[in-house]
Amino acid sequence: MTTAVEHHDVGPVRQGLPPPPGGLRRVLYPGFLRAAWMTPLFFGIGSAIVVLCRWWGGWHPIWFGEIIVLVGALIAAPIGFLAGIGAFDYWVRYSIGAPTEPEDHSGHGAYSWRDYFRVNTDHKVIGMQYLATTIFFFLAGGLLAMLVRAELAKPGMQFFDNQTYNGLFSVHASLMIFLFVIPAFAGLANFVVPLMLGAPDMAFPRLNALSYWLLPIAGIMMLSSFLVPGGAFASGWTGYAPLSVHQPLGTIFFNMGVQWAGASSIMTALNFLVTIITMRAPGMTFWRMPLLVWANFTTSLLVVIATPFIAGSQFFVMFDRVMHTHFFDVGGGGYPLGYQHIFWFYSHPAVYIMMLPGFGIASEVISVFSRKPIFGYRLMALSLMAILVLGFSVWAHHMFVSGMAPWLRVPMMITTLMIAVPTGIKVFSWLATIWEGKINFATPMLWAVGFVSMFVIGGLSGIYLGAVPIDIHVSDTYFVVAHIHYVLFGGSLFTIFAGIYYWFPKMTGHQYNEKLGKLHFWLTFIGFNLTFFPMHLIGTQGMPRRVSDYAPQFGNWNLFISVASFFLGASTIVFLYNMVISMRRGAPAEANPWRALTLEWQVSSPPPVFNFDEIPQVVGNPYEYGVPGARHAVLNGDRAATETEEVRH
Amino acid sequence: MSAHAEAHHGPPIANHSSRVNASILGMLLFIASEIMLFGAFFTAYFFVRVVNGIPWPQPPFELPVFVAGVNTAILVTSSFTMHWALQSIKRGNRAGLQAGLLLTFLMGLVFLLTQAREYSRVGFAPHDGAFGTIFYCLTGLHGAHVFIGLSILLFMTIRAFRGHFSPEQHHGVEIGGIYWHFVDVMWIVVYSTVYLL
Amino acid sequence: MRRGSIVQLIVIGVLAGAIASAVALIPDWLPSSASREAGRIDFVFWFVTGICIFVFSIVTAVIVYAVWKFRVKPDDDSDGPPIHGHTGLEIVWTAIPALLVTAIAIVSAIVLAKDDAAGANPLRVNVYAQQFFWSYGYPGYRNKLSSVLRLPVNRSVVLTMHARDVIHSFWVPEFRQKQDLVPGIHATLHITPDKVGTYPVICTELCGFGHGLMRSRVVVMDSTAFEKWAEKKGTS
Ligand code: HEM
Ligand SMILES: [Cu+2]
Ligand SMILES: [Cu+2]
Repeated sequence: MTTAVEHHDVGPVRQGLPPPPGGLRRVLYPGFLRAAWMTPLFFGIGSAIVVLCRWWGGWHPIWFGEIIVLVGALIAAPIGFLAGIGAFDYWVRYSIGAPTEPEDHSGHGAYSWRDYFRVNTDHKVIGMQYLATTIFFFLAGGLLAMLVRAELAKPGMQFFDNQTYNGLFSVHASLMIFLFVIPAFAGLANFVVPLMLGAPDMAFPRLNALSYWLLPIAGIMMLSSFLVPGGAFASGWTGYAPLSVHQPLGTIFFNMGVQWAGASSIMTALNFLVTIITMRAPGMTFWRMPLLVWANFTTSLLVVIATPFIAGSQFFVMFDRVMHTHFFDVGGGGYPLGYQHIFWFYSHPAVYIMMLPGFGIASEVISVFSRKPIFGYRLMALSLMAILVLGFSVWAHHMFVSGMAPWLRVPMMITTLMIAVPTGIKVFSWLATIWEGKINFATPMLWAVGFVSMFVIGGLSGIYLGAVPIDIHVSDTYFVVAHIHYVLFGGSLFTIFAGIYYWFPKMTGHQYNEKLGKLHFWLTFIGFNLTFFPMHLIGTQGMPRRVSDYAPQFGNWNLFISVASFFLGASTIVFLYNMVISMRRGAPAEANPWRALTLEWQVSSPPPVFNFDEIPQVVGNPYEYGVPGARHAVLNGDRAATETEEVRH
Repeated sequence: MSAHAEAHHGPPIANHSSRVNASILGMLLFIASEIMLFGAFFTAYFFVRVVNGIPWPQPPFELPVFVAGVNTAILVTSSFTMHWALQSIKRGNRAGLQAGLLLTFLMGLVFLLTQAREYSRVGFAPHDGAFGTIFYCLTGLHGAHVFIGLSILLFMTIRAFRGHFSPEQHHGVEIGGIYWHFVDVMWIVVYSTVYLL
Repeated sequence: MRRGSIVQLIVIGVLAGAIASAVALIPDWLPSSASREAGRIDFVFWFVTGICIFVFSIVTAVIVYAVWKFRVKPDDDSDGPPIHGHTGLEIVWTAIPALLVTAIAIVSAIVLAKDDAAGANPLRVNVYAQQFFWSYGYPGYRNKLSSVLRLPVNRSVVLTMHARDVIHSFWVPEFRQKQDLVPGIHATLHITPDKVGTYPVICTELCGFGHGLMRSRVVVMDSTAFEKWAEKKGTS
C-alpha cells in the first residue's frame, strides 16, 4: 500500500504528458494500443492456466467453456486491460526496486480531451471520468427500464419472452445500483472532497485512478451478458441462491461484475477515509468539516466494512456453480438462506451507501441557497453516524417472510423502525434550515427540495415495510418497487442531479442553462410521481414484482404507468442537451457563483491543477451564512488576517 | 482552461492532519475489509456447522490436525522473523533485514506447499458435501492470502537486496509486515475453528 | 412568528392532510379481506397510514409555506438569520418520531404474535412448490393431493412449506399472508379463512423464467362441503 505520493520530492513540473514515442515502441507505451494486445494476451494466459490445471488434475473435458469464460475473459482479460492502459506501471517498477521515474506531474491534470482517456491521477479528472461513465450506464439502465415498461404496458406478453424480460430488469437494477448511484456519488465526491478539505489531491492518486478504471470493466461485463448464450443474468439484482446457481452462463457476468465494481468502491472508500483523516487543511477539525465530507466519511466506513460480504456471497454462488460446492445446496448439507443473510448484510448498508452521500449534497445545497447555517450541524453529523451503526443491525428486514428464525423478526423490526429517528432528524433539520431563509430556487435547490419531499414519502413507505405484519403482505410486490424508487430515484438520483448542477460551474468552468435546468427538474418531478406513486397502489392490491405478465385487473394502471415512464425517460434528453451545450457554449463561470463558503468555491472555476497554491488555513465553520464577519477559511495572501483570527479562537 | 496557465510549480505540500502515516492507515483499513471478507466465509461456516449442525469432520473424512499444527508453528515463527527484519532495518542492519525477509519468505513458502500437499492427500474434494466445501473455501481463502503475502514479501526482499530501505525509510517493510502478521493471525483463527474446534 | 403565519401554516397542513386522506381513502388500497389475520394486518396498515398522514402533513406544510414565503427577491443578496440550532426543538423532533415508531412496533408485535398463534386443532396442509407449479397435500386426509388449495371456512389452518427446487413464495392477497418456501426449510404459515370464495395464490419470489405464471387458486368452502371433498379418494 505504498502509494502515497510524496508531493514534495518533486522534479521539474511539466504540463501534460510528452507525446508518445513513434514507431514500434509506441506499442509498449501505456495506453489503449498496449491494452489492445495485452487484453487478449492475458485472456490467453488465463485460459492456458485453466487448461493446464485441468489436464494436470485429469479433469474432463480439459477445454471447459464456462471456466474459460470465467477465468480467461472475466478475470485475466480485465487485468490485462488494466496493465495495458498503464494502471500498474508504477507499482511494478516500485515492486522490483527499479528506479521509479522522477515525478514531473505530467500525468496530472487534463490539458486536452485525450487526458480524460488515460490513467490520470488528478482527482478532478477522475471525478469527471466517473461522472461521464456513470451517466453512460445510467442511460443504458434507463433504456432497459423503458423496455421493461413497454413489456408491462399491457397484460400478456408483448415483446420479450420471460427469460429475456427477467434479464432486462435484472440488468437494469444492477447497472443503476452498482454502476450508477454508488459510483456517481463517488465521482462527485472525488472531485469535491479534496477541494473541500484543502488538500492538493487524494491520499493515493494512483489507487484512485485504478479504482476508476475498474468501473467500465464491471459495466461492460454486465451489459455484455446479453450477448452470451442463454441471455443476460436473470435472477434479479439480488441474485438469490439457489436459483442463481442454476441459471444460464450470463449469471457469472453478474457475479464477476459485482466483484469488480465492489473492488472499485472499496478502494475509493479507503482512499476517502485516509484522505479525510490525514489530509485536512490546518484548522479543519472534524467539527468544521462540511457535511458532504462527513457523509462521505460515514459512507466510506460502510463500504469498507460491508462490501466484502457481497463479494463473499457472489464467490459462493460461483463456487457452487463451477466447482459444485454446497454452500446453498440442501442436498449436500448447505444452507440456502445463508445467501440472503450474507447478501443483505452488505445490501442493507448499501442502501445507505446510496443515500448518505446524497444527504451530504442536500445539506450543502440547502444551506447555500437558503443563505442560512445548517440547522443543528452537530446533530446532522451525529445522525449520520447513528445511521451507520444502526444500518448494520437491520439486514434481516428484507427477510421477514424468508423463513428465517421467526424470533429474529421483532428485534429487526425495532432496529429498522429506529432508523427512522436519525433520518427524521435530518429531514426536520433541512426544513428548519430553509425556514426564514432567503431561498433562491436555482436548479440545484429545486432538486434538493424536491429530494426532501420525495424522500419523506420513501421514508414513510419504509415504515410500512418495517412493520412486520404489513411487510408480510406487501413484501415482493410493487409496493416495494415504489418504495425503492422513492428512495433511490427521488432520493439518490435527485441529489445526484442537485450535485451535478451545483458543481457544474466548478467542474467545467461554464454555467449551465438555468431555464433548461428548471425544465428538466419539473419534467422529472412530475413524470417521477406519475410513474411511481401508483405502484404503491397496485402493490397493495396484489401485483407481485418481477413478473412479465399480470392479472388483467391491473391493466389500466400499468398502461398509465408505462406512458408516464416514457415521459419520465424523455425528460432525460433535456438534461443531456443542457449538459452538452453548456459545457461547450455556456457562459464562463465565476469562481463562486453561489457565494458559498466551502473551500472548493474559493479557487478558480475550474480549479488549478493542484487545487491550491498554498494550503489554506481553516478558521471557522463552513456554513456561517448571515454571521457578520465569519469566515470558513483563509487562502494565501490573507495570512495576517489569519494570525489575529487564530489568536481570538 | 486559463487557470492552468500559471501552474508551473508542483503541488503545495499537503497538511498532515493526523499523526498516523497515510500508508499505514490505508493498510489497516484494507485489513479491516479483509477481515470482513473472512467474516463472510465464517458466516457460511456458521450456517453449515452450527445452524445445519453437520458432523465435523464429516465421517469418514478426517482432518490432519497434527500436520496442520506443525504448519501453524511454521507460520507463527515467520511472524517473528518478519518482526526481526523490521527491527533490523530500523537499526540500520541491512543484513538482518535481508536474512529476516528471506527466512520469512521461505517459511511462508513451506507453509503453502505443505497445504497444497495436504489438499492432495486429505481424501476429499470441495464438492464432497458442505464439510468439504467449507474446509476448502476457508483454507483456500487463507491460502490465497498467503500467496498475496508471499508476493509482497518477494518484492520486499528484492528491494532489500537492491539497496532500498533505510533506518529513515522503511514504511515499505513495515506495511508489508503488517499484512504478513494479519495473514498469520488469521490462520490461527482458521486453524482453531476448522481443525481444532 | 406572527399569528397570521401560524394560521396559514395550519391551513396548509390541514389541506395536505385532507389530500393525503383522500388518496388513502378513495382508491381501494387493499383487496377484500378473507381471513382473520387480514383484519388485524389491515388494522396495522391503517394505523401506520394515520401516523404517516400526520407526519406528511407537517412536512408538507413546512415545505409549501417555505417555498411560498421565503423566496428571495431578485435583487436581494443578503443572508438569512444565522440560526444554528435549537436544542429544545431538536429534542422534540427526536422524541416524537421515537414515540411514534415505538407505538408502531408495539402494535405490530402484538398483531404478529396473534397471527402466529394457531387455534386448537388446526387443519394441517402441506404446500409444495416447484418450478412452476403449486400443489397441496392434506396429511389428515390420507395425504390427499390437490392442485387447488381448498380450505374450510372459519377453521384455523397451518400451512407447512416444501420447496422442491428453488425459493418460491406463497401469497394470497386476500389473506394478507405470505411465506417463502425455501429448500430444506419447512416454515409454517397460519391462516384462518373467514369468507367463502375463490382467491388467487401468487408466487412472489423470482423462481425462474416461469415465475410470472406461477399461479394457483385457493377455494374457501363451508366445512361440510370441505369434508365431503376431502374424504373423496384420489387427487383433484
Ligand atoms: C426510513 C427509512 C427506511 C426504512 C424503514 C426502510 C425499510 C425497508 C424494508 C423493510 C425493505 C424490505 C421490503 C421487502 O423486501 O419486503 C426495504 C426495501 C428496500 N429499501 Fe428501504 N427503507 C428505508 C429507507 C431506504 C433508503 C434510504 C434506501 C436507499 C437509498 C432504501 C432502499 C431499499 C431498497 C433498494 C429495497 C429493495 C431491496 C430489494 O430489491 O428487495 N430504503 N426497505
Ligand atoms: Cu434494508
Ligand atoms: Cu416464483
